[in-house]
Amino acid sequence: MDITLIGQHVMNGLMLGVMYGLVAVGFTLFFGVLDVIKFSHGDVLTVGAFTALATYLALKAMQVASPWLQLVAISLVAMLAMALLGAAIAKYLVLPLRTAPALNTLLITLMLGTVLREGVRLIFPDGSNPKPFPRLLPGDAFTWGAFTLRVDTLILLVAGVAMIVGVHLVINRTKLGLAIRAVAQDGETAMIMGINFTAVVLTTFAIGSGVAAFAGVMNGLYYNEINFGMGLLLGVFGFSAAVVGGLGNIYGAILGGFLFAGLQTIGAAALPFASAYKDVFALAVLIAIMAWRPTGLIAEKTSERV
Amino acid sequence: MSPLLACRALTCRFGGVVALDRVDFSAREGEIVGLIGPNGSGKTTLFNVITGIYRPRDGSVTFAGADVTGARPQAIYRAGITRTFQRSRMCLPLSVFDNIMVGNHKRLSHGLVFNLLRRSAFAAELARSFVEARELLNIFSPRLAERIDEPVAGLPMIDRRRIEICRALISRPRLILLDEPSAGMTHEETRELMDDILVVRERMAGLTIVIIEHEMGVIERITQHCVVLNYGRKISEGTFAAIARDRNVQEAYLGVA
Amino acid sequence: MAAARLPALVFAAAMTAYGLLFLAAERERAVGALIVAGAAAVALAARFGLLGKVRTSIAAHEGTFDAAAIAGVLVVALWFHEEHFVLLMMTTALLLMTAALGLTVQFGYAGVVNFAGAAFLGIGCYTAAVLTKYTPVPPLLILPLGGAAAALIGSILIFPVLRTRGHYAALVTIAFGILFKTFIEVNDVLGGPQGMSVGPFALAGHSFNDPIRIGGFEASFYFAYVLAALALLVLAFALVRRLERSWIGLSLDAIRLDEVASACYGLDIARWKVFAFTLGNFLAGCAGALYGHVLGFIAPNNFTFGDSLVLVSIILLGGIGNPWGVVAAAAFVVILPEKFQVIQEYRFALYASLVILVLLFRPVGLLPRALRDYFPGRRHETAP
Repeated sequence: MDITLIGQHVMNGLMLGVMYGLVAVGFTLFFGVLDVIKFSHGDVLTVGAFTALATYLALKAMQVASPWLQLVAISLVAMLAMALLGAAIAKYLVLPLRTAPALNTLLITLMLGTVLREGVRLIFPDGSNPKPFPRLLPGDAFTWGAFTLRVDTLILLVAGVAMIVGVHLVINRTKLGLAIRAVAQDGETAMIMGINFTAVVLTTFAIGSGVAAFAGVMNGLYYNEINFGMGLLLGVFGFSAAVVGGLGNIYGAILGGFLFAGLQTIGAAALPFASAYKDVFALAVLIAIMAWRPTGLIAEKTSERV
Repeated sequence: MSPLLACRALTCRFGGVVALDRVDFSAREGEIVGLIGPNGSGKTTLFNVITGIYRPRDGSVTFAGADVTGARPQAIYRAGITRTFQRSRMCLPLSVFDNIMVGNHKRLSHGLVFNLLRRSAFAAELARSFVEARELLNIFSPRLAERIDEPVAGLPMIDRRRIEICRALISRPRLILLDEPSAGMTHEETRELMDDILVVRERMAGLTIVIIEHEMGVIERITQHCVVLNYGRKISEGTFAAIARDRNVQEAYLGVA
Repeated sequence: MAAARLPALVFAAAMTAYGLLFLAAERERAVGALIVAGAAAVALAARFGLLGKVRTSIAAHEGTFDAAAIAGVLVVALWFHEEHFVLLMMTTALLLMTAALGLTVQFGYAGVVNFAGAAFLGIGCYTAAVLTKYTPVPPLLILPLGGAAAALIGSILIFPVLRTRGHYAALVTIAFGILFKTFIEVNDVLGGPQGMSVGPFALAGHSFNDPIRIGGFEASFYFAYVLAALALLVLAFALVRRLERSWIGLSLDAIRLDEVASACYGLDIARWKVFAFTLGNFLAGCAGALYGHVLGFIAPNNFTFGDSLVLVSIILLGGIGNPWGVVAAAAFVVILPEKFQVIQEYRFALYASLVILVLLFRPVGLLPRALRDYFPGRRHETAP
């Protein structure tokens, strides 16, 4: 196949990898800190994307014209709103169920995901259909011979990687990050050491959800379209990426994200009947990986005293 | 006569931590062996290795002449070794009877046809098992035996420990490993529990017991032989009187003067 | 002193009457009034200790109550014997109950999560469609074959499902559910997104799509389906209940509650999980096969992830591990949106919200599971 197509696939793959990675980081953070799987994470991404869209529409109504201002505004609003949502979920649904069997938290977050997803569909006018997302990034493209590189793709990739690096820095270089790691290691000891457990948990959920909102906006900007079901598959793949990378391990999550993105891209490129079967192939690969190495390529951190 | 249980040079590591370091441990049939040592010395780990929950890095476990090193817990149970757990592991929503029956797995029929269709045969097996469970409970506490159909969740810890011991005994094992059975009990309750265990031992000829305990009075009273662990290593062995005099043991528990 | 038979019978009769009124009610205000009245009746009964009496009566005379319940369903079916829509609703509810019983074995007893319930139901449907269309397989055989297909295809998920932590099984079953629906949609082999038709069920020469005429009695063709669905439910119910009251049920509970201790007492964790998962999918597949016949036309849109969550909601709302809870919740989930048309759009969100409330405030569900009683109504032989 020709170079442009390969280039296109590579770009798609990288974007997908960054997005899965961003979602996976959220999953892995929540698991690390509270040993919970927040299944509604993908749907938080959807709400974030739609919040951004709503903000954009509001800004347009207020006659704000500058695309950069719009971009910054909708991103910030979406991330902030989702951070609050994430913290609220932690406070009212997840923390109260700490003493209940782990499955209950899984179930409650799964149900919450449905409420969020259906909420978007029902509240947004004509929510069942995909909605166009504004083109706020410059539409130019560089060309080298047969290879075309869109500027917006480049910007998104850089932004995505910057976000990942940002999360990494927060976790590893700040006091907050230290507190998060302490709580992830051993919640009770962290509490004894004076760390405010609840505050750390809420902050972690806020961070994870804010990152998801960012990924949602990225998704919208890249595909120029969002729909109420977008979070479901992203959540499934993001979660698998986190599992494959070893739950609790941030680098593993990112690695897992790129692994899945890579496999899906190769599948889409190699299979002749590509586009329709893209998802089928991706899901089949996921199930196969889970069957082969269910505890992840890097081991999950578990400790059960016998 | 060769010992019923023989552990040779058992080594067990978790990452960098050496939980067991070339431990030799054996128990002769009919004996009551005490396993003591400070917290974290590897006692429960030894039990976990014997019962197949952990695989040893090195060494062997022989039971009744057969090599059972690294065997699955299910196989260990079938061979005739049962145990209780340091932190009580009960199925709280289930009844006392159900919990004891979990321990009776190898003596019950689990076929689909038997359980679904042959109801009168099932009823007979149920009745037999019920009588046995009640009798066993009765040894430990007639009051508890009255509550055999109640959920375990509503019972105090001391009753839960008794039920756990009954669960370990119902399958008529050859060897039973008791992990701090008297934790959380008063002296009086502990004495009573040990008396009851001795009664059971009378009735089950040849029952071998290995008991982890922190109460030295218990160890002194009921064991014929003791093994002391510290930091995963065996530091002393012998009768209680002998090990109590051992300088190494005193240092392990009290520190060097 | 033995418990009386009367409270159980009165309860069954009351439920039947309530069901008749509810299904007959046309206007939403009437339905609303019935719901309020029902809740008030339950509250009053609880206040006067009647609920306890009913419970002991049912436990002591189970056979009587079972027969009364079946009779009640038949009475309702006969009452509405010419109403296509009501009979269709009843059939759907009965079949969802069967599928949910399968989920109960998996999740309620063995603790294996399955978020692809609708997919396994769908496998049963499509099996029925294909077998009726292309093969001369007798219809009665199609039901267990639908179940077998579901069980077989489900076995590819076995390895991740066997993992200890629930989230692996959750992830894999969610993925499988989506894969199933997407796969059917993207190719035309099984009708694609438009779907495919399913031929009528038949028994002893009578095609179930023909209206019923026996002597002077005329009934909608759905009447036969109600009877078939009821028969299937009775079998599934009896099976699941008998299973729970046996050493098998005990083993399943044990591995759900404590895998380590269970392993140390000889239980083969993998064997029991595989058994529960397979049996559950089998039941869902059987229900699906009959469901395909009832619908007459099936499409991948009937079997989405949301539909799987509805099945999960049924067992969580009704009471985990309690077959009667499943019955009550399935009826509620099927009938309510039909009576309040406005809810149709909000179904998924509504059920999900209810489950969230239940998990927060009453995790055991509406009808909590009782302690295991191997032979209800019989006393233990007491020790000498």
